[in-house]
Amino acid sequence: MARKTAPAEPITLDDSLWERVMEATHGAVAPCFQCGVCTATCPWGQLQDEPVNVRQLMHRAQLGIEQENGAMWWCTTCRACEELCPRDVPIADVMVSLRDLAWKDHAVPEGVSSVMWAMYWDGNPWRRPPSQRAGWSKGTEIPRFSPDCDVFFYVGCTPSYDSRSQKVARALTHIFGEAGVTFGTLGDGEPCCGDAAYGLGQHDYLKQIIETNSRLFAEEGVSTLVTTSPHCYDMFANHYPKDIGLKPLHYTQYLAALVEEGKLKFEKPFEARLTFHDPCYLGRANDVYDEPRAVLSAIPGVTLVEMEHSRADALCCGGGGGRMWIDTKAGERFADLRVPDAIGTGAEILVTACPHCIACLEDSLKQAGSHIRVMDVAEVVSAALGAGETP
Amino acid sequence: MSELKIVVCLKVVPKSEEVSVNPETNTLERGNARSEINAADMNALQLALDLKDTHGGSVTLVSMGPPFAERYLRLGMAMGADAGYLLSDRAFGGADTLPTSYVLAEGVRALQECDLVVCGEESSDGATGQVPAGIAEWLDLPQVTGVTTAQLLPKSRLIRARRELHGGYEVVEAPLPCLVSVRLGANEPRFIDFQRWDWALEEAPVTVWSAADLNLDESLVGLKGSATVVAGVAAAATAERRREFLSGTAEEKAEQLLERIKNWTRA
Amino acid sequence: MIDPRYGPQEAAGVWVHLEHEAGELASVSKEILGRARALADERQEPLTAVLMGSGVGGAALEAVSLGADEVLVAEHPLLDPYTTAPHAKVLDALVAERKPDILLLAASPDGRDLAGRLAVRLRTGLTADCTDLRINPENGLLVGEVTGFGQGILATIECPDHRPQMATVRPGVFQRPEPDASREGRVEKIAVELSEADRPVRVMRRSLKHGVDITQAERLVVAGRGVSGDLALLKRLARLLKAEIGGTRVAADAGWVGHDRMVGQTGSVTHPKLALVCGVSGAFQFTVGIQDAGTVIAINSDKDAPIFDVADVCVVDDVFQVLPRLIEYLESEKKKNGRSD
Repeated sequence: MARKTAPAEPITLDDSLWERVMEATHGAVAPCFQCGVCTATCPWGQLQDEPVNVRQLMHRAQLGIEQENGAMWWCTTCRACEELCPRDVPIADVMVSLRDLAWKDHAVPEGVSSVMWAMYWDGNPWRRPPSQRAGWSKGTEIPRFSPDCDVFFYVGCTPSYDSRSQKVARALTHIFGEAGVTFGTLGDGEPCCGDAAYGLGQHDYLKQIIETNSRLFAEEGVSTLVTTSPHCYDMFANHYPKDIGLKPLHYTQYLAALVEEGKLKFEKPFEARLTFHDPCYLGRANDVYDEPRAVLSAIPGVTLVEMEHSRADALCCGGGGGRMWIDTKAGERFADLRVPDAIGTGAEILVTACPHCIACLEDSLKQAGSHIRVMDVAEVVSAALGAGETP
Repeated sequence: MSELKIVVCLKVVPKSEEVSVNPETNTLERGNARSEINAADMNALQLALDLKDTHGGSVTLVSMGPPFAERYLRLGMAMGADAGYLLSDRAFGGADTLPTSYVLAEGVRALQECDLVVCGEESSDGATGQVPAGIAEWLDLPQVTGVTTAQLLPKSRLIRARRELHGGYEVVEAPLPCLVSVRLGANEPRFIDFQRWDWALEEAPVTVWSAADLNLDESLVGLKGSATVVAGVAAAATAERRREFLSGTAEEKAEQLLERIKNWTRA
Repeated sequence: MIDPRYGPQEAAGVWVHLEHEAGELASVSKEILGRARALADERQEPLTAVLMGSGVGGAALEAVSLGADEVLVAEHPLLDPYTTAPHAKVLDALVAERKPDILLLAASPDGRDLAGRLAVRLRTGLTADCTDLRINPENGLLVGEVTGFGQGILATIECPDHRPQMATVRPGVFQRPEPDASREGRVEKIAVELSEADRPVRVMRRSLKHGVDITQAERLVVAGRGVSGDLALLKRLARLLKAEIGGTRVAADAGWVGHDRMVGQTGSVTHPKLALVCGVSGAFQFTVGIQDAGTVIAINSDKDAPIFDVADVCVVDDVFQVLPRLIEYLESEKKKNGRSD
């Protein structure tokens, strides 16, 4: 592509910047040898003429050249690039670390500070009242957690407030009840896990959140912690200290175990052709591919078909890495690309297991005028058990 | 111009949705309501910090409130302010806007040097919006209220500000020293600068001033100094969305809708 | 207590400060005149209107036709356009001299600017942004009803010992009175002495045709997927309601509204007093952008649309069936009320 040549400006190499990048990424940038596989695999390449040049971002980081602001904020931390990186560079972590440096340099884009303030004042990134956090149960009494519960149910911010995802949280309580699992929540006192601070790179604040929450969970005697969202699961599993006795599970892992142990049984058939969209924070980030499929396959009547791109090759919905809180222009949304994959399978229901995936996929399906429904694994299970809500 | 000195007035308010009315006593129950810095005051602080970024100088925070307000001043200092003054005295309690603006004005006066006072336009609890103008009057400063953006013209010692009007705006210039009040949502408050965090929490100067420290006449402050009394309080029906469904044909619904929005067609 | 400039014994009369734009009385001032007339009748006192500006005398007779017994007209070039100091100076001198018992102003940007300043200068109480005004039958005091805590709490406020009892009145809460051309009243020209030194703040530019800043809009008409790009009706409605047009992400994506009008998490978080949302399903990312709205009215043909969970008034119907009729009604209302502004 013909590009105007910019007048050559002297490039300044800033050794201290290199040191900062090394420190911020815990040395993760160092092994990169500029092969460019990352740039080739980045989903942005399918949407933009000049795709996010991951290699260049990495290269500038290594050389200690000031980043051209902007590109580093595109990354959805989907980790598609990491799958093929021959040097095992945790590229998504490098991206969010570069954002962390942008915070320190007071060079963050518009809108992201407001998300942090929402977390600070309201305990959730959506600026919803903290006193209404338990409203998702719609009046159903949800037990307060005590250490003798089987599980601590961590609902999460989006499932607490987003009326669409609230259905998923309610479906889960229905399933727990059917499986005879005792569970409890912290009600209005449930804190935000900090995922948006991680994704948007505000890691100093994240550190405070983790410290406060770790103390709280220890005081409450939390052990097995089951989350609705893969994002919260990823936070607890990979960013919280290992020595506080936390055993985090995404609910699909927990349900797969219940099926395995025979505690969760499906008696009535649920006749439907389903396809499963792997959320990035479940699949590539945590290698949880089989559990949601095992749960779905245990339901009689279910036909599970795979999309062209699935498991480690699945395409991101576009909502990770804090992108749920940053505007993505029409025509540049990953979910728009994902929808034809789903339609191609002939499935009636596109199943996923993440509140952000649901929001992005439903949006794009509506836009495409498709009649495929989006359901969460929990909603399918709840419906198969009977008496579930229709989404 | 010598070093720019900006004072920002901050109020710590309870989160609105957590305040209720006790139906038996008809009094406000703040209970364990969480507190926050009044949202418009955050916009005021952001505007002040932007001016400091551009022109240098200092931003000093002044707040009237109970001792626990100190930690909110420290939060403001972590955002970029340089010093905080908490005007705190039991005698200040129960104040309406007349003594409130008086105490704040005396606090600003006691700082001796100030080029610009920046306030949020109104607080979410009292929602009177008259404290900024009151402070300006006590200090005999020109005022510009309802501002969304402001620039400083240091050579001519002027502030040029955009004021929101009903269905329009105006751009005004006011000489320093003066007071501006900032509209809610006028800008995006910057987040905490964690490089300042430890300093803000432990070392940053917060001075607590009582009525005696400011040499205030106690009969002019708090409940005693107030001109208005609250005759009664009640819960408004608007805390939750009413979800009132209109029925009938499209025409009938339009008619009912008209009844509900008639008020809005005037003014 | 802070000594008032005068006390209840000396005070008499109900005053209304009139707001105007280019010599035309503001609607809110007409509404206040209507209510003030009733208050004055109840107290059996005269109603005085104060008109300040330059070349505004023509509005004095209109104020009489709307209920004023007396209009004080203070004209001076430095009173136009409005800035705080000269207006406060003139009104303060008038009040101190004639000692009204009640002084009402508009809770508009200028009215609140002036009232807040004047109340302190007069060392008196001011009840701000009243949604109702009445006289307490027991003590004869003015009772102002106000909201606080994000409109969640109603309070009634009185000012027992300080005069004048000041209040600003929220636009739209009172009925505008029918003008009566046969009413008679006294128009008095007030001598005004002002110099440049009395006007520290200067208006450099003033525009009542504004650029879009929907975060500051008091009223919003919001378009969603359901309006299918047909914004003509919504724009007519917005003009009638003096509202801004906003849109969901779908509407902005499709170019039906500019991106600067997008409401929601990744657009603008707005704080209107009224939001009329049309054909919006109510995805969470949108609803966070209107959660601070005073009143939300939603029109959508899908009764299960989540927008109805966050609306005060819910209309399950076709936008294109409801709006034409609503607009028709509003237009005939407007005609009935004569020139509104």
